[in-house]
Order: sequence, then C-alpha cells, then structure tokens
Amino acid sequence: MISRRGLFTAAAGVGATAVLASCGRLSGDQAAAAPAPAAGPIFFGVSAPLSGASAEYGKIWRTGFDLALDEINGAGGVNGRKIELLWEDTQSDQKQSVPVAQKFAGDSRVLAELGDFASPASMAASPVYEKAHLVQFGFTNSHPDFTKGGEYMWSTSTTQQDHAPELAELAKSLGTKQAVYYINTDWGKTTWKLYEEHAKKSGFEIVHSEAVQADGSDFRPSLINGRDKGADVLVFIAYYQAAALLTQQAKNVGLGQAKIALPSSAYSPQYIALGGEATEGAQLIVRFHPGDPRPQVREFVDKYQKRYGKQPDDFGAGAYDALKILAWAVEHSDGTREGVRKALLEGKDIPSLLYGPFAFREDRRVTTPKSTRLVVKGGAFTLAGA
Amino acid sequence: MLDTALAGLVNGSSYALLALGLSLIFGVANVINFAHASVFAVGAMSGWWFSVDLDWPLWTVLLGVVAVTGLLGLVINLVAVTPLAKAPPIAALLSTFAVSVVVDNGAQLVFGPETRRFPALLATDNLGLGGLRFGTLDVTILVVAIGLMLLLGWFLRATRYGRAIRAVAQDRDAAAQMGIPLARVQNLAFVVASVLGGVAGVLGGMYLNNISPTVGSTVGMSAFAAATLGGLGSLPGAVAGGLLLGVVEAFGVSWWGGNARTLITFAVLLLVLWVRPSGLFGKRTPLAAEPMTGTFFGAARTVRLKPWQVAVAAVAAYVVPAVALDDYTVQIGVQVVVYAILALSLTLVSGQAGQISLGQAAPLAIGAYTSALLTTATGMDFWLSLPVAGVVAAVLSVVLVSPSWRLRGHYVSIATLATGLLVAAAAVNFDWLTNGPSGVSAIPPPSLFGAEVSAPLAVYFLDLTILLVVLLLVVRLRRSTLGRIWSAVREDEVAARSSGIAAADYKSLAFGIGGFVAGIGGALFAQQYGYIDPSVFGISVSLLALTIVVLGGLNSPLGAVVGAIVLVGLPEALRMLEETRMLTYGLLLLAVVLFRPQGLMGKVAR
Amino acid sequence: MTVLEVTGLRRSFAGLRAVDGVSFTVGQGEVVSVIGPNGSGKTTALNLVSGVLRPDSGRVGFLGRDVTGWRPERLAEAGLSRTFQNGRVFGNLSVAENVLIGLTSTLEAARPLARWRNVPVLRWASLLAETAVALVEPPSVRRESAERQAEVSAQLDRFGDRLTPRASDAAHTLSYANRRRTEIARALAASPALLVLDEPTAGMNPAETAEVLEQLLALKATGQTILLVEHKIDLVMRLSDRVLVLDAGAVIAAGTPDEVRTDPRVIEAYLGKRRTVARP
Repeated sequence: MISRRGLFTAAAGVGATAVLASCGRLSGDQAAAAPAPAAGPIFFGVSAPLSGASAEYGKIWRTGFDLALDEINGAGGVNGRKIELLWEDTQSDQKQSVPVAQKFAGDSRVLAELGDFASPASMAASPVYEKAHLVQFGFTNSHPDFTKGGEYMWSTSTTQQDHAPELAELAKSLGTKQAVYYINTDWGKTTWKLYEEHAKKSGFEIVHSEAVQADGSDFRPSLINGRDKGADVLVFIAYYQAAALLTQQAKNVGLGQAKIALPSSAYSPQYIALGGEATEGAQLIVRFHPGDPRPQVREFVDKYQKRYGKQPDDFGAGAYDALKILAWAVEHSDGTREGVRKALLEGKDIPSLLYGPFAFREDRRVTTPKSTRLVVKGGAFTLAGA
Repeated sequence: MLDTALAGLVNGSSYALLALGLSLIFGVANVINFAHASVFAVGAMSGWWFSVDLDWPLWTVLLGVVAVTGLLGLVINLVAVTPLAKAPPIAALLSTFAVSVVVDNGAQLVFGPETRRFPALLATDNLGLGGLRFGTLDVTILVVAIGLMLLLGWFLRATRYGRAIRAVAQDRDAAAQMGIPLARVQNLAFVVASVLGGVAGVLGGMYLNNISPTVGSTVGMSAFAAATLGGLGSLPGAVAGGLLLGVVEAFGVSWWGGNARTLITFAVLLLVLWVRPSGLFGKRTPLAAEPMTGTFFGAARTVRLKPWQVAVAAVAAYVVPAVALDDYTVQIGVQVVVYAILALSLTLVSGQAGQISLGQAAPLAIGAYTSALLTTATGMDFWLSLPVAGVVAAVLSVVLVSPSWRLRGHYVSIATLATGLLVAAAAVNFDWLTNGPSGVSAIPPPSLFGAEVSAPLAVYFLDLTILLVVLLLVVRLRRSTLGRIWSAVREDEVAARSSGIAAADYKSLAFGIGGFVAGIGGALFAQQYGYIDPSVFGISVSLLALTIVVLGGLNSPLGAVVGAIVLVGLPEALRMLEETRMLTYGLLLLAVVLFRPQGLMGKVAR
Repeated sequence: MTVLEVTGLRRSFAGLRAVDGVSFTVGQGEVVSVIGPNGSGKTTALNLVSGVLRPDSGRVGFLGRDVTGWRPERLAEAGLSRTFQNGRVFGNLSVAENVLIGLTSTLEAARPLARWRNVPVLRWASLLAETAVALVEPPSVRRESAERQAEVSAQLDRFGDRLTPRASDAAHTLSYANRRRTEIARALAASPALLVLDEPTAGMNPAETAEVLEQLLALKATGQTILLVEHKIDLVMRLSDRVLVLDAGAVIAAGTPDEVRTDPRVIEAYLGKRRTVARP
C-alpha cells in the first residue's frame, strides 16, 4: 500500500509535468496549426441549426449551398480541387457553436467557416475563429457588433444600420401614424433602436411600439394596443413566421385597413403562404427578389426553381452567394486560411449574386445597394409601383 | 377592455384543452407528462398532413388525428411510464421529457422543420364583438374545451371505466386490491388524454394559423402553468386555469407589452401557488401521507471509490487532456466540468436534501449575469466576481424558493420549474440591468499570474480545479452532521421536524449552498463563452442538470461528474449523425432513464 | 407539576369535527393513555399536541408555557418527543444515525449560535455557522460527535440485543418491530420531558407486544412522563396511571384504568362494540 503522502507527491509531480508539457497550449495563438493540405478537396465548415427551433433555416441554407456546390464542382472545382462542406449542427445555440468552432479550428483541412445562423451563436464562437486565423463568414449575422469581433469576421448580411432607416422611410410613405412591433431578440431590438433614431431625426409619428415574443403565437392583445392608438401603418420587425402571424391577427383585431411595412427578413414566399389573404397589400424592402431582371439573378432563380420546385428566398440566395464568394476567395488565395482572409480584404471586384461585383468595406461588411420595394399582389411579390 | 378580455379567453381556451389532458394523466398516473406538448404538435402536424396532402374533410381529419395521437399516447405510456411505475416519480418525468425530445425531433424528420400554414377548416373572422373579429373557430375551441370537460366529467362519473380511473386516481393500492386493472386504466387515461391533446393540436393549429413540429413547446409551458394553476388532477381546474391564465396574460401583455408574457405566466403561477398551494381547485390534504420507507433511495446505494482511485482519476483528469486530447475535445471537457459543477449543486439540493429542482438554471443564470455584469460594467476582477456571483445566486435562490415551503410533492418541483423560467424571463425583460435579449458580450477572460486564461486547456485547468474544490465541499458536507440532518429531511420531513429539525430552514440552506455552487458555475460559464444571453439558460439546461444527477445516481457526488461526462459528451459524440443527432440523443436518454433509473453510479442493494 | 395541559382543543377537516373540545392534563411522571374507537380523533389529538397540525381553537400548555400553534421542531427542542402510528424511521439512514437525529437538539458545537434559530434573518448566521463548522470540523465538533455516538450505544442497549447488532444497518432493512424500537430510541434520545407514543405496538405479535410493555414499564419506573395512544387494552391497563376515552372527537370518560373500564358510556362506545371486556 502506497502511503497517502507519497501518493499526493507523485500526483503533484505528474500534474506539474503535464502542465509544463502543455504550456504551449495554455496561452497564445493557435494559428500554428498544421498547414492546410495542398491537394485533395477544399473544406469549408458550416456551423448551422439542423435541429431545434431554427432547423428550417439550416434546411434552406442547404438548398443554396448545394446549388452553389454543383455549379462550382461541376465546372471542375476551384483550382482543380473540389469543394466539400463539413456540416455541424449547433441548433444555433452558443453552448454548441463554440465547441464546433474549436473543432473547425483544430481541423487543418478547413479553410473557412460559414455561419452560424443567429448572431449570438456566431459572436460567442468568434474568439475561437479569431485565434485560429480562420475566416468566420457569418452571412446572416446582421448584428452591428459581429464583424467587430476581429479581423476574421466577415459578413454579407445587410446591417441594421442600413436597413432600419430604409424600413422607416417605407413606413412613412404608407401613412402617418405608425405602430411598430419588433421581436424581442437581439436583432429585433437593435433594428428597433436604429429605427427609432431615424424616426426621431426625421420627425415621424410613432403612436405605439412594442416588443413581442419571437416564438409567440398570440399577438392580439399587443395589436389591440396599436389599434386603440389609431395606427394606420403597422411595421413588423420580424422574421417571416412571426410577421405572417402578426399580419393575420392584425386583421382579426380590426386593423384590416392599416398598411403593413416589413423588413427583408420577412421576405420569403413562406410569408404569403403562411399569412394567406391578409398579406395582400403588405409592402417590403428587400435586397434580393426573384423578379430582379439582372441576368445572374434570372439564371440563379431558374436553376433554383428547377431543382427545388419553388422560388428562392433571401436566406437561400444569401447562402448560395456566401459559398460562391468564399470559393472565389480561395481561388484568389495561396490556399491557406490567412490567404482566404487576404483575398477578401484585397478583392476589388468580388462577383456576387446579391451585390454585383463589390468590395468589402473596412468594417468587413458590404455596402448594401439601394433596396427594392415589393408589394404583395394577387398572392405574389411584385415590384411596388409596377 | 372587452376585446382584450375576449382575446385572452380565446387564447386561454387552447391552453385549457391541453391542460385537461395534463391534469387527467397527472390524476391517474401521478406523472407530469412533459411529452404532452409534443402530442399536441403531432396532432397539429398530422392534421395538417391529412387535410393538406391527403385533402380529407374536417371530420376525417379529426378521426385520423384521434387515431394517431391515441396510439401515440398508448405507446408513451407503455414505453416510458408503465415500466417506471416502481421508480420514483422523477424518473417518469425525465422519461417523458426524453420522449418529447424524440417525438419533436422525429416529427421534424418526418414532416420537415418548416413552419407551414394550417388550413382554415373553420372560419376565423366571420363574427365580431366590440371591435374584435373572431370566428366560428374561436367559439368552437371554447365550446369544445368546456364540452370536453363536461363530457370527461360525465365519463369519469357515470361509466365503469371512468369510475375505475377515479378510483385509481384516489388510491392506487386500494384500487388494485379492489380488482381494478391498473395497467388497463392507465393505458386508457393516456389514450384519452392524448386524444384530447391531438384534437387540441388540430384546433390549436387552426387558431395559431402557423404550425411547425416544434409548435408544442411554445404552448406547452403555458398549458402546464394553466393545469397547475387550476390544481393538478382537477378537470374544472384545468379549464378554469387555462381561461384565467389566458385573460391575465392578455391584460398583462396589453399593459406591459408582448415580451412580458412569459414573465407574467410564471409570476402568476408562483403567486397562486403561494396563496393556494394546491392550485385553485386542487384538494389539499391537511397532512402529508406517511411515506413508505426507503422507496427510492433504498433501491440504490452509491458506489464508493477508494481514495487512491479518486486521486488517480483526478490526476488523469489533468494529465490526459493536456497530453492526449485536441482543443475541441478539451473544449467539450470545459462544458462537462461546468455542467458537473451545476449537477453537484443539485446533488446537494435534490440528492441530499431531497428537494427535486427543475429550475437549477436560475442560480446558474444569476451567477453568470452577476459575474458578467460586474466584470464588464464595473471592471471588477474576475476572482472577486466569482464569490460575489455565488453569494448573489445563493441569496436570490433562497428568496425565490422559500415561499414554496408550504408546497408538497410535485408542487415543489413545479415551483422550482416556474422559478427557473421566471429568472430567464426576467433576464429578457429587465433590459436596464441585463441588456435584455442582446445579452452581455465581451466578458473579459480571467487572468492568473499575469497570464490570460482563455485557451481551452487553460480554462479547463481552472474550471477543473474549481470542480475538485466543489466536489470536496459536497463530500464533506454530506458526511457531516448537517448532511445527516438533510438526509432526515429528505427521508421524512414530518418525522424530522418532530425530532427538532427545522426542516424549512435546512431546505433553505440546501438551496442556498446549491445556489452558491451553481452561481460559481454560472460565473465560469460566462467567462468561458465571453458572451451570455437569456436564451442560454432555458429549461433544457435545468432538465439536463437534473438528468445528469439522476443518471449519476441522485445521491452520489462522483455520479454527478460521471453523468456530466456521459450526457454532455453524448451529443458531441453523435455529431456525425447531423439531422438525426437529437433524435438519437433522445432515444439514448430514454434508454438510460428506463434501464438505469437508479443511476450509473448506484448499485442495487441486495 | 403539570407537564402537559390541554384545554378546549378543536380541529375540523372539511366540516368534519375530528377533535371537538378536548381537555386533559398530564402530570410529571404520569403515564396517560388515550383510547377510543377508530376515527375517534386520537391521532389527530396527538398531532395537535405535538404541533404537526395546528388547532382551530383551544390551548396547549407545556411545562407552564403556552405552546399553542408552535411548530413541531420547536416543541421537540422544548422537550416533547413523539413517535408515529406507522413507524416513521429514516429508511436510508442507519439505526445509529436515526438515533443521532434524535440527539440533534442536544448538539452545541456542531450547531453554533443556536439562540438565533428562531429569529428571522438572523437565523442565517446560525445556519451559516453550522455550515462552516461542518466543513472545517474543529476538534470540539469531533469530540461532541464521539460523545453522542456513545449516547447512541446507550440508547440502543435499552432494547437488549435487538438493535445493537444492527446499529449500522439501514433502517429500511429492519423488521417492523425493530423499526418501532428504533423510532422509540430516537424519540427518547434527547431525554424528553414528555414522550408521546402513537400506537407503539401496532402490528406487533403478542410476544413483541409483551416485550415493548416491559420496556415501557421500565421507562415508567425511571419517572418518564408518557402520553400514549393505544388499541391494545391489556397494555393500556397495565401501563397507565390514567386513561382518557375519546369518541367522535370528544372526551367521554376519564379516570384510572379501573374507573374507565366500568364506565357504561365507555362500554357502549368502545368496549361494547368489541364485545370483549378486557380482563386484568
């Protein structure tokens, strides 16, 4: 029998050795990971909700990604190498997106990462990507702070700074007394703050504003508040499900005559499918719509329609575009993680479905071109004023 | 005013429909059926499929849904509830939770995750009253809820099977001695309740307009609150609770805004429980029944490790990750450690003092926010914020839970559940303090000897050291006089009090120390991610923590650690499954609860 | 001196008067038994006296103090110990630990600042001090603990070789009779001023009952004051100084065992129904 003291001394010794042995891993950079292999397929990590409440967005991403992959790999890949995606389910939960980030960071084959869906899940993982010098391409992360997380955080999402004032202007053109409902998430709240700022500057009248639960099902009491204050324009800062519910229930509480203004995140054929007739006449501002006459858009919409039997929405188009942009960056790099970042940084005319040839701004975001106004007419999105 | 009340009434009647089924099952099987909301979702989804894809008319849709959900209810009872009849109620609760994970994720795979429009099989706005438009549908829901309540009441009073159900609900053992076939009666109760849930799904689907396979979780918690509000086991209580909650929510939302809904729901639930500990219509026996001795804990004895085995394990916990594991695995290790700390807090509260808590995410959240806000807003050093986080979590835990000491049995667990949800809702609503849904970001990593602790391995070493300290603390407390006093309170509160033990004080103390430990865990949690928001501290965290403790053997500190390794590691180990990952996880969870209700580290006493 | 003085105790459940104006006293060193048919309110009366239930009205005096509505733990600390009808032991604690729980109110080193226990908020000072002591385990606590262990052995010895060999067995493994013995040992551990026993021989065979009777007689000989609820008339008659007969929540007769046995009301209400008159 070993004595207790001897045991602890031995344990302490082994522990100390281990600590010393792992000194390099205790601090500093992990950029010193093994270099990426120069042959074989190119890997991108995808950190996405495949299960849980946001799973449907993960599914839409897949449609966009698969289409882009077929195009790229069908044409011989990038520099003769095929692109492959490594999908990891995070449920868009930061408790899971961080280990996933660590997994991608430690996998030397991964040249860049796409996602996560929700800004909080992405932002929690950012420090890991930053340390690993791995580009985190959060193409749906509209949170203004996302790209402030570091040099390796990039996004093609519209920022709320650009979007909120445009939405406010749309609402202003529809009536005089606005009631604004925003979902009580980080995105909804940030958009509302910027909206309110713009409204103050421009002197609009907002008769009522209220945060509503993003996953709520009964918005009637909130809508009654707006009705009682005489609102004639309703602004729903929400994704398409909540926007559709709000639209329908607005009609139920006797707000059928009020005009409805929506942000681009509500833009999806699903909005009309879910909201039904009540959506007739609702107006949106979007950065992408399938009726866009530009040839690259026509080609994309046709392909998408043919493959999936439905029109692409903002998320599908965004995913397609994001993957193409990353593929372009790899093509114009030396095939390393750092090279991908450099290519994004230095690219002057990056081809894009959504933005045409563009360059990233200094804050690693895109200047959104003036957005398009759509109106729901006869159960379909049509260009406003057309 | 009038139309707000009316909107509340209409919404409340959909809660009432679900609450009826919950109450019926509780009455008969004495089980809180967490899977009931999933049955609702399956009812809605299959109803959608019958009417949209198969183009059936309303009455066949209803028949189809009745068949599907009735069968589902039967399966749930046979697979997840009946096998655990001899196990403690908490095992059945966790197994129904596992079933809900399986059903929700299964439905996502079968139907696809998309939100879709439920066809309006009944008119939704052909009627009007006081400016509010509503329709045949809304009236139908209200009428169906009340009608089903009356029908069920009649069934329970006038039919042979109904009387059998009531007899079982009142006294299982006596009913069994009277020759009532318990198994068949319980099957019947599950089928009836699930059919109610399915019908509620169809009507609710029409009412909500939009449905998805996860629609149950939204409505489920409110329905659960409604059933408790009315008094679990009481059918008129379920309906009254649903309607009342609907109306109170509607006015609350009208006054404080839509984001306050969850806060209102659970604040109301807690207030009602404090004033009427068995709900509005529940019967309260003046004296708790004398417990059968050694029912649960008697079944298992904890495996004891020798000191050298513990020492070797501890050293290995330091050395192996440093030498043999990559950063991703170490990162998972960090999560395991934090969950182990959270689980240890429950080992004290639930294992030692016998208070089953379904809301341990509350002190975790409080500790995380305390540390995060102190280090970001006031620049306090992490090392100082750590004990402060523990103390704040401890004090708030005690204050929030102490009014529940009048409650008994399941109601204590429900009060802790409500507390957990209330704290998360408060984090969303108290913008001025918590920054609301935006959360707290840029939480600085702690520094130690002048070096930043942020690399996965460094964080792991730090957290592991704290885990070992907590483990030592818990083990010492268990072996002390205090531990013995807690055991007495757990085993038989009345007898303990008659032996001069102020049970309420010691329960408070257990929640206090448990809160302190969880608060420390919360602070580590916040530093680990550098970013927290209210969504992190949902009910799934509380349930996971409890499952870890039950899996590990409720009364075994080392079991909590082993449970954390298994249950936190498992979803990561299943990563290659992608879409079917959570389904598999749910199935494994179910298997674990079914086959080892005494826990991994518990061995059956001979 | 009067140990227990009960006046006009009332308690009803859902309109049913379980205890309806019961008054009695128990003097120092006395053994008083409460008998009566099933449902006559005996156990409810005990629950009211021991603080497990609160009375609707009436007064309970204990050692000269008004203790009406006191919580059971406070009454226990004041010197009133009890056992329960079905034998409530702590199933997963060992026999020795069960008895140690009975000694809780005598602990000083392990439960510091006991004076503050009944003061709101300040009680936390005492609870936290208790926690600190549990973690640190200073020598005084260890010494006290050892002393209590010795007391436990003494208590167990009271029951001869029934409990002592099983001292470290979990209580749920015990036979029914041994559980009752454990419970009595727990109740006696703190040397209570009043021992309240609720049917201590329920479910025991004649031999076991006789053994318990001997032990209770021995206890009585040491001057222990006892309030007893019991069905077994033989035991009551041999043990009691005075007997109280309850029917429908009210006292219908009281006096020495002989007086009670010949009281026609008692025979009608209780003994008559059983058609057996106990012989001395």
